Amino acid sequence: MEPEDGLPEAEDGFRAPAQVAVPMSAPPESAVGVSRDSLRALELLKDLGSEVSEELLVLMPNLLSALRHQDPFVVKQSIATGTTLFGAVLEEIALQLHGSSKIEHWLEEMWSWMVQFKGAVCGVLMEPGSIGIKVLAVKFIETCILYFSPDEKDGGVLFTEGKGRRFNVSHLIRGNSILNPAMLEIEADRTLDLLLDLLHLANNLRGSLLIAVINSLAGIAKNRPLRYKVILSALLAFDPNFEIQNGGHTSSIRYCLRTAFVGFLRCNHPSFTESREKIIRALRAISPGESIDQVLRQVERMSRTMDRVSHDVRVSKGDPLSIQESVSGDLTRNKTILPPSDVLAEELPAKRIRFDMPFDTAHSTQMAYDLADDNDDDGNGNYSSSISLVGNDLSPAEKMIAMIGALLAEGERGAESLELLISNIHADLMADIVIETMKHLPKNLVVASVRHNNGSSNEETSLPSISSQVLSTTTTDLSAPTSSLPSELATSSVGVNGFSVTPDVSSFSNLSSESKRDPRRDPRRLDPRRSVAFGNSHSASLNLENSHDMQPMPSQLSSKPVAISEAIKIEHSSSLGSKLDVEPSDEPVGQMIEKLQTTETLEVQDNVMIMDQSLDVHTPPNLEISPVESIEEPLAASTPSDVTANEGVVHNLSECDEFSSPDVKSLTPEDNSHDLITHPPLVELMDEQKSELHRLAVTRIVEDYKHLQVTGYGQACLPLLARLVAQTGADGDVVKFLQQHIILGYHHHKGHELAMHVLYHLHAIMISELDDCSSLAASSYEKFLLGVVRTLLDSLPATDKSFSKLLSEAPFLPDSSLKLLEDLCHSNGYEHNLGENREGDRVTQGLVAVWSLILGRPPYRQTCLDIVLKCALHSQEEVRAKAIRLVANKLYPLNFASDIIEQFAVRMLLSVVDQQSSEADTSLVYSNEQQTEMASQDAFVGGSQILEPAASESDADKDNQASVLKVPTISLSEAQRQTSLFFALCSKKPSLLQLVFDIYGRAPKAVKQSVHQHIPNLVKNLNSSYCELLHLISDPPEGSKGLVVLVLETLTEESTPSSDLIVVVKHLYETKLKDAAILIPMLSSFSKDEVMPIFPRLVDLPLEKFQAALARILQGSAHTGPALTPAEVLIAIHDIDPLKDGVALKKITDACTACFEQRIVFTQHVLAKSLSHLVEQVPLPLLFMRTVIQAIDAFPSLVDFVMGILSKLVTKQIWKMPKLWVGFLKCASQTQPHSFHVLLQLPPPYLENALSRHSNLRIPLASYANQSSMRTSLPRQTLKLLGLLDEEQQTPKSSGPTTLQTSDTGSSIHGAALT
Amino acid sequence: MGAKLRYAMVCSSNQNRSMEAHALLKRHGFDVSSYGTGAHVKLPGPSLREPNVYDFGTPYKFMHDELRRKDPDLYKRNGILPMLKRNLGVKNAPQRWQDNAADGCFDVVVTFEEKVFNIVIEDLSNRKQVLIRSVLIINLEVKDNHEEAATGGKLALELCQEIESADCWEDAIDDIVAAFERQHKRKLLYTISFY
Repeated sequence: MEPEDGLPEAEDGFRAPAQVAVPMSAPPESAVGVSRDSLRALELLKDLGSEVSEELLVLMPNLLSALRHQDPFVVKQSIATGTTLFGAVLEEIALQLHGSSKIEHWLEEMWSWMVQFKGAVCGVLMEPGSIGIKVLAVKFIETCILYFSPDEKDGGVLFTEGKGRRFNVSHLIRGNSILNPAMLEIEADRTLDLLLDLLHLANNLRGSLLIAVINSLAGIAKNRPLRYKVILSALLAFDPNFEIQNGGHTSSIRYCLRTAFVGFLRCNHPSFTESREKIIRALRAISPGESIDQVLRQVERMSRTMDRVSHDVRVSKGDPLSIQESVSGDLTRNKTILPPSDVLAEELPAKRIRFDMPFDTAHSTQMAYDLADDNDDDGNGNYSSSISLVGNDLSPAEKMIAMIGALLAEGERGAESLELLISNIHADLMADIVIETMKHLPKNLVVASVRHNNGSSNEETSLPSISSQVLSTTTTDLSAPTSSLPSELATSSVGVNGFSVTPDVSSFSNLSSESKRDPRRDPRRLDPRRSVAFGNSHSASLNLENSHDMQPMPSQLSSKPVAISEAIKIEHSSSLGSKLDVEPSDEPVGQMIEKLQTTETLEVQDNVMIMDQSLDVHTPPNLEISPVESIEEPLAASTPSDVTANEGVVHNLSECDEFSSPDVKSLTPEDNSHDLITHPPLVELMDEQKSELHRLAVTRIVEDYKHLQVTGYGQACLPLLARLVAQTGADGDVVKFLQQHIILGYHHHKGHELAMHVLYHLHAIMISELDDCSSLAASSYEKFLLGVVRTLLDSLPATDKSFSKLLSEAPFLPDSSLKLLEDLCHSNGYEHNLGENREGDRVTQGLVAVWSLILGRPPYRQTCLDIVLKCALHSQEEVRAKAIRLVANKLYPLNFASDIIEQFAVRMLLSVVDQQSSEADTSLVYSNEQQTEMASQDAFVGGSQILEPAASESDADKDNQASVLKVPTISLSEAQRQTSLFFALCSKKPSLLQLVFDIYGRAPKAVKQSVHQHIPNLVKNLNSSYCELLHLISDPPEGSKGLVVLVLETLTEESTPSSDLIVVVKHLYETKLKDAAILIPMLSSFSKDEVMPIFPRLVDLPLEKFQAALARILQGSAHTGPALTPAEVLIAIHDIDPLKDGVALKKITDACTACFEQRIVFTQHVLAKSLSHLVEQVPLPLLFMRTVIQAIDAFPSLVDFVMGILSKLVTKQIWKMPKLWVGFLKCASQTQPHSFHVLLQLPPPYLENALSRHSNLRIPLASYANQSSMRTSLPRQTLKLLGLLDEEQQTPKSSGPTTLQTSDTGSSIHGAALT
Repeated sequence: MGAKLRYAMVCSSNQNRSMEAHALLKRHGFDVSSYGTGAHVKLPGPSLREPNVYDFGTPYKFMHDELRRKDPDLYKRNGILPMLKRNLGVKNAPQRWQDNAADGCFDVVVTFEEKVFNIVIEDLSNRKQVLIRSVLIINLEVKDNHEEAATGGKLALELCQEIESADCWEDAIDDIVAAFERQHKRKLLYTISFY
């Protein structure tokens, strides 16, 4: 297309000299054609590149026509290529002009093409068409404007040959005909107008184009401040809330504007700073939400930091590129390391860069420092403008304060930003801020709370209120000066450094803040020589930084940098003081003091106020001591506790203040002037006022602290609270409130840390040996500790470890706290607020605490051991068991504790065994409720003691009987109470069992019972120490037989006894203890041969023991099987000869009976077997018939078998064995009628005897014999005896005698009976 | 139009949101990359105060193995291990947006957080814009948790499909954004920058 076709003609000097158009894509072709054409065009355009040469001239028409190509890609590429070419051509022109002041003709021609191209692009922008192309056109125009406008930033450095947009119109040599800078600028304005016009046409633009326009305008404004005003007013005039007719995306457009404004705010060019207010207002209008506001604020500051740093560095090093790269590069990620103090001065430049550098949105802390650094051009009223002039020389803290002030000045709107800001500030920096702020504090505080009108508060109403607000929000974090205290003290006194002082102290603060930080933290301070060196280095560095002298004249005090040096000097006041001690100063002391007066009053007067208000509890009221003395005072203190040091400073400062107060008014640094107009007098506060102040302070801190918790930067307030507690003396509502606070967030809100801070602080005062303070602190300490401990117990569940943690980490445990611990362990007094089921937990909790104290706190070891040992004798079994577990499992293995524990346990065991001596001892450990129980028992003790000597010497059985009498002396539970610990120890140390054996004989029954209860478990768990036990058994002390038996029983209960044990026991049986009872547990392992010899002895044992023995015998071992079969047992029993074996017959019969009772073992079959064996014995066992009768009683079905036995006995002429004969007859009588045929086998005389003994047999027997089958086989005599033969014989002989006989029969019975 | 657009998904740590979208878009055949703008890659740890911090460029595999070693239960439960596993299937390691300018031009950059959006804009404007190629930066606010990321990934996909289907996104973007906001009740922000 021809340029004339509607392109607005480039005007004036920009008219193209020749217009040779080479139509590339005249008419629309087919799609294929188009695309092929497009490709060709694209390739061509890409070839154009940025190399400017004469040959390119030929292609220029193509470039131009490509703008009219159908394919948007070609058009886009055309614009892109054109843009590059544009710069390249300009550069080439400038180069040629620079070299020869002349431009070659082809280049001139080239330039005219470029002008034409520019015109064409502008035309594209104005015509309807693809937004994509228009967007690029906008970009092209932006680039052009940038080319045409001088770049102020490019500080005169000549461009060299190179790629990219390095052309700067200001480098052009003036006066050449083609490229006149002035002309170019006019052209730039014109082009800019084009863009601005677009903005005005917003309603007709697509959103995306509008956004591109705004972005471009913003880019131009930022890069060419000259154009800023025009662009800004256009943007400000642009109504972001317009109705988008073309459906543009309003919020995106608005955001785009926002970004532009934010970008402007980040520029520190004077023209930008002037318009801050306007921009901020506009921003508010765009995004009224607070949240956006604060985000904006952050982004703004953080980026601006980067800009400025890059600018600074560029100026100083003259190498913008490298620095710019480094800005976004690695430097930001360097975690700075604490530099050696001596090289501070050398470190300064590097540190400044680091400090100023960080641009890292993801790193919140760094962000905070950025923010801290960026108060200079905050644009929030008078603060900012004044500060900005010296912003770079301010310490971070001062910058921060200024910024906080600015935020506060915004009122409600700034509040949220402020909160966010503060939450991001590192504790150290915050501490510095607070120290700074405190200088402004007293007057306001006095005004606010004491209602003391110092006459000046009305003059500057806004600023005091600001600083008081600053205080309210920042005092929370006053940590830096005090946080070092706990750790210092911890190392010096307890040796535990449990508190974190925020690390990398100086990593982000520059020199002045370094020096401002509390000098006490600085190790240099301890060494006067070094402190001098420090001071020197400071002065050097100060010179580096702001060319101010160490000793500013009063007249210089009107500018901010001086304030810094003052601040430094103030911090040096103490080190200067030390300097006075060590070496003669350059000046007389008086001068020095005077200097201090003049230079310090600024801060001094304010410091005095706040310090006095908060510290005067400890401050000796004597303010008359000389300044030098007061300076020396803290230094002389052996322990550099925080408070003493601070007091020293306070004295010092306050005196200076007194001396210098008349001069003060003249010293008015700019931003402190309001404080200095009048000097606030020293206010002595009433006690109530003090406590009220304290209360206010603590409440405020705690409340703010809660918010800060969320961000995790709450650390800082801990030391401050600690000091406040130290001052209030741990009394009253304040501390209660604080304790409640501690408890509420014990875990989350770091209550523990707070508590520790308070405790360590108080303890530090205690051991600082300042008489008046330490006693107060001691009582405060105790109260506070107890208070916290109690609240912990009351409010947290027993499972909570906080209690133990608190105690074990507290620097010092007063007796009362140990008493409390003891009560807890004994569950005294803690029932009321706990459920009964949870009381046990409290005991555990106490014990755990005791345990940790024993482990971790040697000084309290003995006391805690006592507590837990007492607890191990507790009357409640549950409590006792817990304590015993602790003692035996955890404490007894400890070297230092084992002896104590063992001795204690032995003493308790012996005391309960030897009643006489124990009464006094044991009553000591009884808790109150037990005392009465004991008293009631005492009455019995007297009576029973008479019996005791006899009892203790008797054997086991007698002893048991005797001790029955002794039951009242000591109850089982009582015995348990005092012996449990010992047995628990036994399981850890088996050799202690010896003592148990030793005392067993003389121990009261209750103790024995207790022993009996414990021994089984004990023995079972003694696997490893079996030998010791064997040794004990092999030689048991007098009277310990019962125990030996118990042990043996236990040992053999679940396993077969070892051969060693059997040998030992056998030996024992044969030598010392001839009691078969001790063998019983072994019996199962005995063989038949071993059992038989001792069998009578077993039978001779009491029945229960025999039964036990019987069971063992029959049980046998897995290997050998039973020693005796049941039948054999029965036979063995019958084999016992009462006379020869010395076993009472009764015992034997009992043994038999015992056998018969076990019908499952001694079955019918067993009985039959043993009976048939026994019946063959000669002589028959004495109890044979008894056994037979018992057998038939037990098993009636044995009757046939028994008849067989009886028959055998008849053949054995049983009647000849009188004792058995009786039994035989009894058996026969019992077993009638089965026994009839046996009876009939008896010889008639014995039958007669039998019948005469059991007359009831006669009639049934006679009728039995009268049966025809029987009669024939019976001898006549028998028949006759039964009266069956009588009739028959009478019939053949005579009837008379028959009748006689019959009548005789009756009488003959009597006769027989008589015979 | 023929040319496929190049997409970048950008979040803070290049772990969750951007990777979710990256994985999804990749599955749908998009030419897509992903980045994070943070200083470090931060993954949740046992507590809020103890995050696991890695440098960009640390392979996902390494993180995965290390966390699995540390506390397999915890990191399985909170979804970190599955996430890392997903990520290491997509690419090797998290990449930092600011450090990867060499990756070339993107046509569309989707950010998932306003902060990230701002950083990307800032970073682009700090680069030397010599190519004169426009780039669309869209912010789609997505909370940094697994559920939201999954939703956000789908939304991003839909958005990108819309953009892809347009002849010229510069022309269509206002409509696309408006339609998207209407449909999903989600606020979008977009701006245009240049390479």
